[in-house]
Amino acid sequence: MDSRDSSSSSTPNRDGSSAVSAAGDEEASALAKDAALCFQSRKFAECVDVLNQLKSKKEKDPKVLHNIAIAEFFRDGCSNPKKLLEVLNNVKKRSEELALASREQVESGNNVGNKVTSGSKGIGTNGASIIYTDEFGTSVASLNMAIIWFHLHEYAKALSILEPLYQNIEPIDETTALHICHLLLDVVLACHDASKSADVLNYLEKAFGVANVSQGENGNTAAQQPLNVVGKSASEPNSSLVSDVSCSDLAASVNASESPLSRTSSEDRLDEMFSTLDIGGQNLARRAGLASANDLSRITADRSVSGVDLKLKLQLYKVRFLLLTRNIKLAKREIKLAMNIARGRDSSMALFLKAQLEYARGNHRKAIKLLMASSNQTDAAMSSMFNNNLGCIYYQLGKYHTSAVFFSKALSNCSSLEKEKPLKQLTFSQDKSLLITYNCGLQYLACGKPLLAARCFQKASLIFYKRPLLWLRLAECCLMAAEKGLVKGSSSPSDKSEIRVSVIGKGRWRKLLIENGISRNGHVDSVEKDVWALGGDGQPKLSLPLARQCLYNALHLLNCSELSNSKSVLPSNSSLEENESSDGASSKNSNHRNLPGTDFKASTMSAALINSNGDLKETKGGTNPESIQNSISYYEDICRRENQMIKQALLANLAYVELELENPLKALSAARSVLELPGCPRIYVFLGHVYVAEALCLLNKPKEAAEHLSVYLSGESNVELPFGPEDCEQWRVEKHVDCEEANSGAAAAAAKNPSPEGLQGFMFLKPEEARGTLYANLAVVSAIQGDLDRAHQFVTQALSLMPNSSEAAMTAIYVDLMLGKSQEAVSKLKHCSHVRFLPSSQQLNKSSL
Amino acid sequence: MGKKMLNLEEQCKIVNLLKSSSEQKSIEETVTDFFTNSKLRHFNVCYSLSLLLQDKMMLSSTERLVAFAILHRSYSSQKSAANPFISFLVNAACDDGAEKYERAFILQLLSSSNSNSSKEFLKQSASDYIKNFDPSSQNFPQREQLQKQYFEKVHPEPYSCLLQNTAVKNLLADPDVPCGCDANSAELDSQPGAKSKLGSGDRDEALSGLIANLSLEGLIPHWIRPVPPRFPVDEELVWLNPDNSHELQWDQGMCADTSRGAAVRDLIAKALKGALAPNQQEQVLVELANDPKLVYHCGLTPRKLPELVENNPLIAVEVLTKLINSPEIADYFTVLVNMDMSLHSMEVVNRLTTAVELPKEFVRMYITNCISSCENIKDKYMQNRLVRLVCVFLQSLIRNRIIDVKDLFIEVQAFCIEFSRIREAAGLFRLLKTLE
Repeated sequence: MDSRDSSSSSTPNRDGSSAVSAAGDEEASALAKDAALCFQSRKFAECVDVLNQLKSKKEKDPKVLHNIAIAEFFRDGCSNPKKLLEVLNNVKKRSEELALASREQVESGNNVGNKVTSGSKGIGTNGASIIYTDEFGTSVASLNMAIIWFHLHEYAKALSILEPLYQNIEPIDETTALHICHLLLDVVLACHDASKSADVLNYLEKAFGVANVSQGENGNTAAQQPLNVVGKSASEPNSSLVSDVSCSDLAASVNASESPLSRTSSEDRLDEMFSTLDIGGQNLARRAGLASANDLSRITADRSVSGVDLKLKLQLYKVRFLLLTRNIKLAKREIKLAMNIARGRDSSMALFLKAQLEYARGNHRKAIKLLMASSNQTDAAMSSMFNNNLGCIYYQLGKYHTSAVFFSKALSNCSSLEKEKPLKQLTFSQDKSLLITYNCGLQYLACGKPLLAARCFQKASLIFYKRPLLWLRLAECCLMAAEKGLVKGSSSPSDKSEIRVSVIGKGRWRKLLIENGISRNGHVDSVEKDVWALGGDGQPKLSLPLARQCLYNALHLLNCSELSNSKSVLPSNSSLEENESSDGASSKNSNHRNLPGTDFKASTMSAALINSNGDLKETKGGTNPESIQNSISYYEDICRRENQMIKQALLANLAYVELELENPLKALSAARSVLELPGCPRIYVFLGHVYVAEALCLLNKPKEAAEHLSVYLSGESNVELPFGPEDCEQWRVEKHVDCEEANSGAAAAAAKNPSPEGLQGFMFLKPEEARGTLYANLAVVSAIQGDLDRAHQFVTQALSLMPNSSEAAMTAIYVDLMLGKSQEAVSKLKHCSHVRFLPSSQQLNKSSL
Repeated sequence: MGKKMLNLEEQCKIVNLLKSSSEQKSIEETVTDFFTNSKLRHFNVCYSLSLLLQDKMMLSSTERLVAFAILHRSYSSQKSAANPFISFLVNAACDDGAEKYERAFILQLLSSSNSNSSKEFLKQSASDYIKNFDPSSQNFPQREQLQKQYFEKVHPEPYSCLLQNTAVKNLLADPDVPCGCDANSAELDSQPGAKSKLGSGDRDEALSGLIANLSLEGLIPHWIRPVPPRFPVDEELVWLNPDNSHELQWDQGMCADTSRGAAVRDLIAKALKGALAPNQQEQVLVELANDPKLVYHCGLTPRKLPELVENNPLIAVEVLTKLINSPEIADYFTVLVNMDMSLHSMEVVNRLTTAVELPKEFVRMYITNCISSCENIKDKYMQNRLVRLVCVFLQSLIRNRIIDVKDLFIEVQAFCIEFSRIREAAGLFRLLKTLE
């Protein structure tokens, strides 16, 4: 680039070999055009041929190599994305090397000893290689790499490429920049990153939405600017269009500056300055921060992206953002707008989004209708999504078996997609089977099939491994399996709830031997080192140690995300800052660095203004920056609350698992953490107290244990309800509350069928049973402290509240025996509904003696 | 399943032991026979026996004596206090409800630990011992005395759980006899050859059944450990929407015309060296306006900015305005702040403030630099000039509300006072006063 200032006649040395004749250059550009045409008409084999000719002329030109790689990838049926990634990475490296080389050449040539520049050394070279190098630009190659990662569902990797591109987006040409923004939006939406989505949306709206859409038949700005610059429109009446305002502002300053140019006397300059300043002052009122918005706006060079398409796309992104942040009210409005724009176009995406909206609002019937309207049943990819979404709806309706049917249909759609030959462009990306598999896992869990569920979650972990919930679900699979006796070394569920009594002898010699039957399980497995040991069928062996491992994973992930959340308040330019020279200037620099980011936010207002100017009727009261900011903070609140809930569940589960594994110390610390969580719901407080008390009992601290339980004591021996039915209700309903305070739709739906929806997954103690549990455990604590009378009192209460509890019955029998009332114990045993009398197993026969 | 206390061999051993107690073998012999197999788990065996002994009916008198002897012998190599069953033995010895001969036997066992005391009593069979027992020959010491004697050095309890420690015997008698019958009556025992009566039973059968089923664990109170509820499924189900098709992109820049903006590049290069003619200047502005990306390719770098500012401030303003969203703008600002103070740089900054929104920090820094430049300048004439310029500049900034005076009040006030001799400084001071 700079090399060209000095010698404009010479061809730039883009491929390292400098001397290429002008004729050769022309020929090359003709070939390039041919290749592009072939590519556009999807004749990839031909395209590769042309490119190879080109390659012989321009060896090692990274752009030629890049296009060859792309064309070959298509020609070969998109079969090897990883290989393409490798090639693109090499191309990128090569470009950067060339760019660096040319930059060094320039810098060394022009290095005039300047006092000023010495103070700011190193500035020009950091991270800027992307920017000033047109011919060595790597933005397309980077974009393509990000596209591949995106299709491979590797969002973090895609993001790591897109973020720097987005930070430096200004110099990138429109088509590529637009694509970068769209891809980035898809990625951050997939990552559920609301604030980043809002940022990109904001930028898109300003940079593309304004110039292209709002001004209707565009081109105004482009046409006016040259006029303005020469000062002809300086006196133009103040138009409502922002671009005009700032253009005239610009013109004014140019205008004013024309005169000083012609003068040279330094004394006079001062007066000139006065006049300039005055003009600046006049313009100030009109400027009002709008100029920067205009500066952002891009004139879309690529006319193939029609304004309406772009607008629809943007609108749909907005809807997705609002759905993500669960701002149902606004989403409803925006989807309406999107449907209007989409009129007469293929709008399956709009329909799906609308269905999702209705699903989120709990209008399941309407959601189904919309899905039906959109579904293109011939397309396997579409029908897999269609079936999956129906599965979601039926799950929410509590019809797990119907949902299972749809999920498995969706999966078979996916597998038929895989078989399709030849592979469509990036078919591998349309494979959503892992997402559907996750849904399957949830559905199996709801149906009480922990082994199948675990298998699903394990498969889905390929993409969900960073989500704490996945690990919580896996742990739940383990717990459920243990409960059902499916875990190695655990007793069958009937064993657990039964008291087994061996009957020995006959007649007056008859004895009853109570087996200490409710034996705890799990520790058998703890010997196994490798908790991830797979069974013969590649299935994880569910066990309590595995549950513990999963819970620790989830807690770790949760803590990480909390940490990064608190960090992300700071600008994300840290990597840039690190590169900076560590002298005193860096602190000032870092402040400037933030400028583009803050600028976006500051000028959001103007963007909204423009928007409402362009579409006065439709966007009246539409997404203004405040509401976007509101939905972000609302969403952040939701996420915080959700994380809080997950944390409660994780710690409670962990305490439970540690108790099962006979680690009272660890159980104690987990259970204590539950109690320390702020705003912990009463159910978890109850669990926390019960677990803490048990752990303390196991640690021989019955007194402290008693203290934890007596939180619920009122008076001498009356236990209060630890939580009410409303706590269970609240616990369940909280998730259905949405942005609208009085969303009649959702409320009505919840009111209509509260039972199946409400009951889903909530198989916990009823409040009265919880109370009985407390009585029973208080009885235990009293008994081991030797206060048998109190124990008797408590356990009698416990049995009256939960006559079916074998634990309470055992404690009651224990207390009777301790009190020497063996007759009563025997009669209790005989009246207990959960006792199984076994004939004595006579291992000894006479012959063996 | 509860853990069985005894394996098959141990069970046989015990059954045989109990059987042989009625034979005319000496107790000593019986006990020694019992221990010939070293594989026996002493604790388990003894614990089973102690459980059987607790039931007064279960074992015959001779069996009881042998069992006590085993309990004692199992741990006789150690001090009596180390015997886990010592308290059981002491209690049995002090049990007023027990037979005198049994208590005497236990006392003799306990005292036999002292090497000098006689073990003669073990040389007879159990039945002989009972037969020959003379109640008057034995005095029964108080429990406290025995405890003092045998518990002397109590080991600290090894750690064990209270819940377990509080275990109670999990064996209950549940005699199945007709109403009104005495369950302890021997009449009910089935007689060989006789027709079995209701409520009758075979003691041996019950005994071997017990021995087979005894478990180490006693009955303990049961804690209820609620299973935590499953986490509610909220937004967790994945809803699928059609994707935007992100297709791989062709690089249009391949072999593209690189002469883009060559003229501007040339002009900018010239502009670094000297002022451009008005028509040249206009050309630069027009071309930059025509192609919004051109500014990124015009060959300007932050390092070159000072030259452009000094030679062509208006072009510098235009370029910087266009670069305002560039990621490199911060570098440009840094250079601008750090370059020598001059009319041109001030002009550029002033124009920029009206054209774009500058970062507050930058403006502040710039003003601070202005003021310190004024103070440091040696040449009086130049100083006057610069001060006037700075004053005008500041007034403009204040009037246009580019800066908040409060941020710089003290600094600016000091500046005004220092140069109060200059008209513009006085004016600025007045302006400050009106704002106060």
